[in-house]
Amino acid sequence: MKTASALALTPARWEQAASHFRSAGVPTRRVEDWKYSDLAKALGDTALSEATASWKLGKLPAGVEMFDLAEANAPDWVKTHLGSLKETTLSAASLAFADGGVALRVTGAVETPLTLEFSGKGNLRALIVLEKNAALTLVENLSGSEQRNVGVEIILGANAQLHHVRLAPAAAGAIQIEEVAMTVARDAVYTAHYASFGGKLSRLELDIALEGANAQAHLSGVSVLHGDSHADITTRLSHAVGNTQSTQLFKKVAGGKSRAVYQGKVTVTQGANGSDSRQTAKALLLGNQAEADLKPELEIFADDVKCAHGAAVGDLDADSLFYLRARGIPESDARDLLIHAFLEDAMAGIARDDLRDQVRTAVNEALAS
Amino acid sequence: MSSAAIETKETVAALGEKYKYGFVTDIEMTRAPRGLSEDTVRYISAAKNEPDWMLEWRLAAYRRWVQMKEPNWARVHYPKIDYQNAYYYAAPKNTPLKQSLDEVDPKLLETYNKLGIPLNEQMALAGVAVDAVFDSVSVATTFKAKLNEAGVIFCPFSEAVRDHPELVKKYLGTVVPVTDNYFATLNSAVFSDGTFVYVPKGVRCPMELSTYFRINASETGQFERTLIVADEGSYVSYLEGCTAPKRDENQLHAAVVELVTLEAAEIKYSTVQNWYPGDENGLGGIYNFVTKRGDCRGDRSKISWTQVETGSAITWKYPSCILRGDDSVGEFYSIAIANHYQQADTGTKMIHLGKNTRSRIISKGISAGKAQNTYRGLVSVHAKAENARNFTQCDSLLMGGNCGAHTVPYIESRNSSARIEHEATTSKIAEDQLFYCQARGLGAEEAVALIVNGFCKEVLQQLPMEFAVEAQKLVGISLEGSVG
Amino acid sequence: MLEIKNLHVSVGGKEILKGLNLSIAAGQVHAIMGPNGSGKSTLSYVLAGRAGYDVNQGSITYNGEDLAALPPEARAAKGVFLAMQYPVEIPGVTTMMFLKSALNAQRRSRGESELDAIGVLKTVRRKAAALNVSEDMLKRALNVGFSGGEKKRLEILQMSLFEPKLAILDETDSGLDIDALKLVAEGVNALRDPSRAMLVITHYQRLLDYIVPDRIHVLAGGRIVAEGGKELALELEAKGYDQIVKDAA
Repeated sequence: MKTASALALTPARWEQAASHFRSAGVPTRRVEDWKYSDLAKALGDTALSEATASWKLGKLPAGVEMFDLAEANAPDWVKTHLGSLKETTLSAASLAFADGGVALRVTGAVETPLTLEFSGKGNLRALIVLEKNAALTLVENLSGSEQRNVGVEIILGANAQLHHVRLAPAAAGAIQIEEVAMTVARDAVYTAHYASFGGKLSRLELDIALEGANAQAHLSGVSVLHGDSHADITTRLSHAVGNTQSTQLFKKVAGGKSRAVYQGKVTVTQGANGSDSRQTAKALLLGNQAEADLKPELEIFADDVKCAHGAAVGDLDADSLFYLRARGIPESDARDLLIHAFLEDAMAGIARDDLRDQVRTAVNEALAS
Repeated sequence: MSSAAIETKETVAALGEKYKYGFVTDIEMTRAPRGLSEDTVRYISAAKNEPDWMLEWRLAAYRRWVQMKEPNWARVHYPKIDYQNAYYYAAPKNTPLKQSLDEVDPKLLETYNKLGIPLNEQMALAGVAVDAVFDSVSVATTFKAKLNEAGVIFCPFSEAVRDHPELVKKYLGTVVPVTDNYFATLNSAVFSDGTFVYVPKGVRCPMELSTYFRINASETGQFERTLIVADEGSYVSYLEGCTAPKRDENQLHAAVVELVTLEAAEIKYSTVQNWYPGDENGLGGIYNFVTKRGDCRGDRSKISWTQVETGSAITWKYPSCILRGDDSVGEFYSIAIANHYQQADTGTKMIHLGKNTRSRIISKGISAGKAQNTYRGLVSVHAKAENARNFTQCDSLLMGGNCGAHTVPYIESRNSSARIEHEATTSKIAEDQLFYCQARGLGAEEAVALIVNGFCKEVLQQLPMEFAVEAQKLVGISLEGSVG
Repeated sequence: MLEIKNLHVSVGGKEILKGLNLSIAAGQVHAIMGPNGSGKSTLSYVLAGRAGYDVNQGSITYNGEDLAALPPEARAAKGVFLAMQYPVEIPGVTTMMFLKSALNAQRRSRGESELDAIGVLKTVRRKAAALNVSEDMLKRALNVGFSGGEKKRLEILQMSLFEPKLAILDETDSGLDIDALKLVAEGVNALRDPSRAMLVITHYQRLLDYIVPDRIHVLAGGRIVAEGGKELALELEAKGYDQIVKDAA
């Protein structure tokens, strides 16, 4: 049993994380937040791994500093920020168990996308700091079907811009969890797209705090699930100050016996006037053994705000289907066309054409199978 | 004994058990001893002359309750309730009556006046002596005759237990099982009274049934139990509550309402709730924890809940519909207003089980002062619920920057042909809207009332006429002090 | 080309067409006029094969084949085209992409070779110009944000592209002003051909000033109650539907 960490944490901080996880334990469906993703049940008799998983970085562009968290003598910026953001039960576990991970610090406006890959079994940490005016496009790829628990912290300085595209391919039988905690300073912008193709239990949890005026977060995502797959996206977006903006657009297609879950909580703090938040989550069920669970939540404590959300689960529009067929397109092709169309606007948020094509290809492959 | 004294005694005796113990109402004898135990349950059952089966039912519920834990997941915070520090039964008929309106809290009277409630009603509501209520008694009698003609049973629950046990036994606890939740279990053990309605096959109830017309309408039920059964092809519209603020020593109100519709039947259940909300500083106030559920058992049946909740310090209620029958319909229309320090956590559950079922949810929440208002709803479509359709619209209006408006919808679908649509918006009253009204001569509070009524219109339109007018006024009154 | 005999059609359990008879030969333009609720749209949907429109009795024969037995896409491939009254908006599917998919699906069904993207683009552009359908409209999602007139012009563009044998125009004039109407009518007239039959369904006589029919049928109460040449339109305009229906009874 671990009693200390190889990461750059004070012993007290490590102990805090370890006891947080030990006392809370692996969440069951009785924990409100994990209602639709019973982690304890998915793990069954297997315990949450205490090993350390692997990571791989693409070519490091200029303007990006990298530190391997497994190394000793962490620079100050790592020591300051590692384990500093809001912690959940699972991110406490990754902080307590991971003996390695990657820390990135961006100081300039970087054009070339940086790829980061997570693989292997166990826990990992990642820390990404964008200093004032920095910019980066991060492409995150997940590989393999091993059990994995990754805790990520992202700190965006004033006017920084992070564009994040995450591809989680179908990983049959895999239990893969990623918890991302983030703070966004004034004028900074976080745009992201998450393509998830499911696993035995796959969950992406984001906790984003918009802490400065004009801070923005724009999230989008697609999910195409088959067989027994499960994919859960849970977001907690907090407008801590006024004049901040957030949008969320998530589209899911669930076939077979799969389960698509979206939980999106938006909080507007008292006094955060001028906050603008929109949220849309839509799911298409193919067949009567799939399930979609959507819970878009609003917690509003300020009055001069614009907050709205919409959620829908349904079948393909009958009128649209008829229109296409009446023009000669066979039924199954028409259905395919409409399913692709359904997912299309959620991919519009991907800034770069090459990345969008990558995601579209993954979606097309998943739909074809 | 003087002849006057004899005459008085005889008169009193003729009034029946009401003055059983003489002129002086002995408090110890008309209340169950403080606290809650199996004895309390027996006491209540005995005081109501209930048959054994009813006592057994209560006892089973009580035994279950002691094993349960109070839930803490709603977004409401309240000081821990000491269940032992309360009286669970106070014989309503022996409640000392006031002799005139002078004895009634003037603030209460002011509200009654604003709402335009006629004097007779005011007195009845404030618990004033019998004489003035004479008119209502005769009205109630004609009313009863009409119902008897139609075969509609409408009586206090305790009466139904005695006179229609087969009906009560058949349906009681079948929509809200005794074990359903903490407060429902408590209610099942110590329920005081409530309403029982049975509408026979094919009968359209000739008038709207209102709790006002119950003989004991002026008393406040702490643990009300209501059961309404609409047999095949029947229709009934039921109005619960009144627009006048009911002050009560009892802090906790845990009611249970069960509705059953058989094939092609319809129940329309409207509530206007204005329990005492506590004062401007958040002291006092009623905790209103209610379990209301309707079971659309028959094909093509319909249950519609309409509520205007403006009172209570804490409201926790989710009138729900189980859409069991094919082509059944469930509706929920709600206005929930929370001002000062009130906390409301209310919403609905629509459970789609049968084929071609439909549900519609329109929720309007208004928060002002330092209040917290939460909509919590569940739309659940089961795997065999082909073609289920749901539409939900939740709108929140915030007045001022110190209150909160929250929306927590759960959307769960397991059927690919079902269509569920949910939308929610949050807004405030726009400065220019207010200015426009004021520039046309309306005072600030009047302007707010006008705008808020517009915001709530869709729900107000669902209320039966007599309620709608009073509810509108109530909406305005509830928001007093929220502007400026 | 089209032979409808004693057609009874019900929608949602309610009978709308109550014994309709109609016969159209190639090269002809027929108009169907009728008051609201007479069954005009029902006729167009049942010809195109929309689900929920049930044939209870009678027959629809298209070039000797039983049309009612075919699914919508098969009818399209065999040359049936319905220009809809309310063209559907399909976000996420660009107009161009839709046109290519539909055209090639029909060609495939007929055993013809498919056109490549460039080929389709060229053809579409040429036809689009004549109908004032802009390049922008082709790039946008199908009908999303299009005005009424734009949607109708796109329907006619499709008719031009698919080269149907039987074109059914369901209230193509509804919601259009004079200029838009003229443009649409020009497009339709340009497609007249000895091998092609057209069924123009309209409520108002005005469209028939521009698309002059060979024969007019009056549909009321689910049946054809009167027939005549193009003058019948003017008679209807003068007397109104009620009178014509009464006269025929």
